[in-house]
Amino acid sequence: MSEPLLSVRDLKTQFFTEDGTVRAVDGISFDVHEGEIVGLVGESGAGKSVATSSILRLVDSPGEIVGGEIEFKGETIFGLETGDDGELRPRDEMLTEQEMREQIRGREIAIIFQDPMESLNPVFTVGGQLREFIEINRDLDSDEAKKEAIDMLREVGIPAPESRYDEYPHQFSGGMRQRVLIAMALACQPDLIIADEPTTALDVTVEGEILEMVTDLQERYDTSFVWVTHDMSVVAEICDRVNVMYLGEIIEQAEVNDLFYDTKHPYTTALLDSMPRPDRTVDELRPIEGVMPEAIDPPAGCRFHSRCPEARKVCREVHPEPRDLSEESEAIHAAACVKHDAFDVGYDESQPIDTQAGGGFSAGLTETGGDAE
Amino acid sequence: MGLLRYTLWRVAQAIPVLVGIITITFFLANQIPGDPVEIMLGPSPAQGQVEAIRARYGLDRPAYERFLTYLSGVVTGDLGRSIYYDRPVLEMILLRLPVTLYLTVSAFLFAIVTAIPLGVISAKRRNKPADHVSRIVSLIGVSTPSFWIGLMLIIVFAFHLGWFPARGLPLPWASPADIRGAETQLQVVWTSLHHLAMPMVALGTLQMAQITRIERSSMVESLQGEYVKLARAYGVSESKIARKHAFQVAQLPVITIIGLGLSTALGGAVLTETVFEIPGMGRLIITAINNQDYELIMGTTFMFGVAFVVGVIVTDIAYAYIDPRVAYGEET
Repeated sequence: MSEPLLSVRDLKTQFFTEDGTVRAVDGISFDVHEGEIVGLVGESGAGKSVATSSILRLVDSPGEIVGGEIEFKGETIFGLETGDDGELRPRDEMLTEQEMREQIRGREIAIIFQDPMESLNPVFTVGGQLREFIEINRDLDSDEAKKEAIDMLREVGIPAPESRYDEYPHQFSGGMRQRVLIAMALACQPDLIIADEPTTALDVTVEGEILEMVTDLQERYDTSFVWVTHDMSVVAEICDRVNVMYLGEIIEQAEVNDLFYDTKHPYTTALLDSMPRPDRTVDELRPIEGVMPEAIDPPAGCRFHSRCPEARKVCREVHPEPRDLSEESEAIHAAACVKHDAFDVGYDESQPIDTQAGGGFSAGLTETGGDAE
Repeated sequence: MGLLRYTLWRVAQAIPVLVGIITITFFLANQIPGDPVEIMLGPSPAQGQVEAIRARYGLDRPAYERFLTYLSGVVTGDLGRSIYYDRPVLEMILLRLPVTLYLTVSAFLFAIVTAIPLGVISAKRRNKPADHVSRIVSLIGVSTPSFWIGLMLIIVFAFHLGWFPARGLPLPWASPADIRGAETQLQVVWTSLHHLAMPMVALGTLQMAQITRIERSSMVESLQGEYVKLARAYGVSESKIARKHAFQVAQLPVITIIGLGLSTALGGAVLTETVFEIPGMGRLIITAINNQDYELIMGTTFMFGVAFVVGVIVTDIAYAYIDPRVAYGEET
């Protein structure tokens, strides 16, 4: 395969709070190739949003990227090296804050946030905001940018864009505002768009329309996407490849069909079982038992073992890194679960343990919408 | 509704408020124990004099009758005659009002011009030394009465240092002939500003402190808004975010405080004018009450009421202008 557009290696982002260090993103690696839609899936609090803001280096204090590497089109967005004094320091080729602002944010990587109601500034017109971002990121003058903004509003399906241009965000519905945010991202003509749960706040019919529109526009503009969601049905609909996150780690990584039909990690299985699927008939949906533990003090061993129906003693002791479990010549399919032979840590001989998943149906928290990491 | 119709609507809404103010003041003023005519004529008036004067000012008629007469006078722009000074109330007010407005507006300009940058800097450097200094200063400002600040300013800058005059406030557009030591209009303006400095600071400090506090907390909140995150993600510089994206949203509560502060400032003007011996509305209202000058009490209170209502209306209109979400009362 060609060089990836975006490459994230062993990224670690932590939040230094009074209660301790929250390891929100704890060593994730993934690639995004040109023209691909890559999914980032997980429950609320898995670290998805922190991962995406890390890519733009926009982690709010007290959060900080503490390790790993982010490369985009050969540029180093983040990278550390060990200095002469033994301390870690940013590498020389790492982009400065000013370069990030002027060359990367908006211009190369644009983002669509999850909350269309709050993301637009209430006191400026929709068109004015769109035009401002186009002016900054495409070196157009004001008139050209306005023309482009109106064209883009039309493109994302906003009726009468010339008159809507001068209206304020409160005059738009939620779905329309999300279209405006998508127009913003596309209008800056970036190579990569990060969509951070853009349809979570919308109702299902509007979500459907937006997904259809995005797939359509993605084909026309050939933009790559990182699509963050907690909704497996959205993944099935638009993603090419998927990364499943649990508690700051990526625990399974595969092409979308492999993930759905040849699931390798019990967490992914549990996620899939907790939602209705057109290809399977079940009497009852099975929510994932228990609540995701705090990222401030993750469980030892495999982080999912406390909720895993297949957990054995060894799962408490061994912390698995994702490994490629695919046959040769097949696409990469990585998972971090010791039950697979490739790990060879004695899973089969180990004793099963009682977990929260052991009991029958209980009112466990499963997915909650609109996570706000 | 357009902005113009909204304005007219708000003005119309103010009429019942003003009628209410007149009603309450009228009956309250008439309840003050004592008699204005006795105060005016002294301890031993001549035979029949009291009755004559009572008749002249209509004080011999029942209260409701006088009230209706007064109300109809107000509608036609007649605020009656001062019992004590025997001059038309409106004339006296028009003489004093410019001084008070000059003082109050200057105090407000002083407050706004200093408070907004202070608040923004404070918010941007949250929890850093600059922020702490500005917060302590505004805390002191909020908790210190304006007359005390006035007295301290007089003691330090007028008596000890002699930098500023301690009393009086000539208007900048007064004729040079009326101002001692001034020959040209420019010198009048200079004298006026020289006199203005201390009362302006005394009266404006409270407003400055309040606006700084609101500006800071409002900016802190605005800087955490999703729209700020969005602007950052699209490469907008931090200084532009502070100047434009976060700033404009943050001004909404500030405008409310400025509008409400106007009435506080008018109240403060009464004290400030007393401390600095400025012949303005504040002094007038105090003299009126001391003399039980019904008509003058009514007139001055009414003017303060009008000023307050105008302040609220201007606030509302400014709000509607800055925040497009204010639907000009359509939903009510």
